[in-house]
Amino acid sequence: MSRHDATVIPTAPSEIDDLCEVVEVSHITKSGRKRSPVAVVREIPLTIFLNDQEIVTLLCTGAHVESLAVGFLNSEGLLQDRSSLRGVEVDQSRHIVRVSSSEDAWVAERLLGRRIITSGCGKGTIFYHVLDSLQSRPVEHHVALRVDQVRHLMGELNHRSELYRRSRGVHNCALALPTEIVLFRADIGRHNAVDMIIGECFLEGLATQDKILLTTGRITSEILIKCAKAGIPALISRSAATSLALQLARDLKMTVIGYVRGGNMVVYAGGEHIEP
Amino acid sequence: MIYLDNAATSFPKPERVIAAISRYCREIGANPGRASHRLAREASAVVARTRRLLAHLLGGVDPSRIIFTPSTTVALNLALKGILHTGDHMLTSSMEHNSVLRPLHHLERLGITHTRIPCSPEGLLDPADIRRHLRPETRLIALVHASNVTGGLMPVAEVGALARELGLLFLVDGAQTMGALPVEPERLSIDLLAGPGHKGLLGPMGTGFLYVRPGLDLDTLWEGGTGSRSESTTQPESWPDRFESGTLNAPGLAGLAEGIAEVQERGLDAIAAHKTRLMERLYQEFHPLPGVIVYGPARRHDCVGTLSFNVTGVTSNEVAHILDTAYGIAVRPGLHCAPAAHQTIGSFPEGTVRVSVGPYTTDDEIEALIKAVEQILRFRR
Repeated sequence: MSRHDATVIPTAPSEIDDLCEVVEVSHITKSGRKRSPVAVVREIPLTIFLNDQEIVTLLCTGAHVESLAVGFLNSEGLLQDRSSLRGVEVDQSRHIVRVSSSEDAWVAERLLGRRIITSGCGKGTIFYHVLDSLQSRPVEHHVALRVDQVRHLMGELNHRSELYRRSRGVHNCALALPTEIVLFRADIGRHNAVDMIIGECFLEGLATQDKILLTTGRITSEILIKCAKAGIPALISRSAATSLALQLARDLKMTVIGYVRGGNMVVYAGGEHIEP
Repeated sequence: MIYLDNAATSFPKPERVIAAISRYCREIGANPGRASHRLAREASAVVARTRRLLAHLLGGVDPSRIIFTPSTTVALNLALKGILHTGDHMLTSSMEHNSVLRPLHHLERLGITHTRIPCSPEGLLDPADIRRHLRPETRLIALVHASNVTGGLMPVAEVGALARELGLLFLVDGAQTMGALPVEPERLSIDLLAGPGHKGLLGPMGTGFLYVRPGLDLDTLWEGGTGSRSESTTQPESWPDRFESGTLNAPGLAGLAEGIAEVQERGLDAIAAHKTRLMERLYQEFHPLPGVIVYGPARRHDCVGTLSFNVTGVTSNEVAHILDTAYGIAVRPGLHCAPAAHQTIGSFPEGTVRVSVGPYTTDDEIEALIKAVEQILRFRR
């Protein structure tokens, strides 16, 4: 399949207007109340089909829906083999993405979203979805980072989002080398932004093991597991990490840095890979 | 649903078992041995028939030496606590179920000690090791007949003969062998045999027994009404009443009689051959698979219809969850109430996925399990 077979909604600065709507609001400040226009980010329901089977409806901005759909399916274990991908069709008017693949996703479809209920006898797992456990392995490569690189990358992440500056309604996310951002995405959902990146890597065959995921959202277990399954060994966030994410990070030997603000940061896991 | 958890309890139960329980509840209903009216007499006759059938299955032992219990665990507790006294020492193996190990742990507080003889990584006991652990105060050897984790059979005949030679009592946990192969206490020099009614014997849960060799006495662990010698406030001396205080699970025993009859009609040898063939097939398929570890003896003829395995990188709980959720296959993961056995075979604390077949398990069901595990292996990253 060629990328050109699919319709992609771009997010170049010139297209930002498409992702926002201007509404009249009341602004209340210390000096009083006044009516004024404000830009709000677009939210649409996007339904993803895999081989004519409805899989999920995501709420998103509607940008990069092709990579979002592919990234979601890859992240959930429903689409693993790039060579099996037959096509991605986007129906913009109905907000539907149809992905077709020759891959046998029988097992994954049956396990999708199913929580592991263990017997309490024998060693359990800290994963709550069995698909995550089956598809996550401890990372084998680590990215060495300097503190100044972390500060620089987070600065770049914040700087890049015209959509955020306009609407204040999206999370920014990027795939980066220690020295530079290589792929940037923004969406109303932090999960969606990560899935777009994962989808892009899957479609374009981008290497992930030497890269870092940057996000403005919290590092929760879901975000960390998405990275683990995609083979991204390190996460850096402007926000905090959660307890389960850190338990998983330790098991999966991943690096987690959070709360990168004002030159400070919190190294939650993988501190041995961070140089002063 | 494909049921491969027969080591926990057999399923499905034969229709005749269900019918017998139903008939008891609908048409008899009375308390056995508690009155002389027709229904109570019928109830007593049901229990007596079950006892006779079981005695016959055990090689023609004295039926009065069979004590009905709610489970093998209760029978093992009765045997251990009824026989051993402060200062005694006993031997057991590292493949025992918690139904032996936990009572032994409790008995330590009463000054009764034990030695757990290590088994091989395959889970097998070398009878020669018994002599090395003997003490002057050793009174009893307790041994599981077949591991509930690996299915591996223990050398019960050799250990029985050795126990006789050494003047020791011999207690066998027949949880996995009753109804799976011929178990004749007199031929195997077994003094005490504990077993379930609800596994290989195809009866309902809540049924079990302890056979005690004639001439061997044991203390009661509970006392109460037996329906006999009611004029006395002391426990009767007669067997099995002495050990069966309280109302028996008569509907369950009615079902157990039919389960035993079913086993005898099918034939123990035929049932054993069927299970061995299925397990041999599973072993042959699983053993060479990269990513699958199979535990226990390689010679499946030395096993009952139970096999443990793991998929590397995936916990047994997860494999069982996938088999259940995606394939409709019921197996038991974890430690199977036998932590020492898992330590012995090298699967502690993770545990294993245990597959256990019954007389009604089909080749197609085993084939479905093999295909499912192959698919899981392919899907795993």
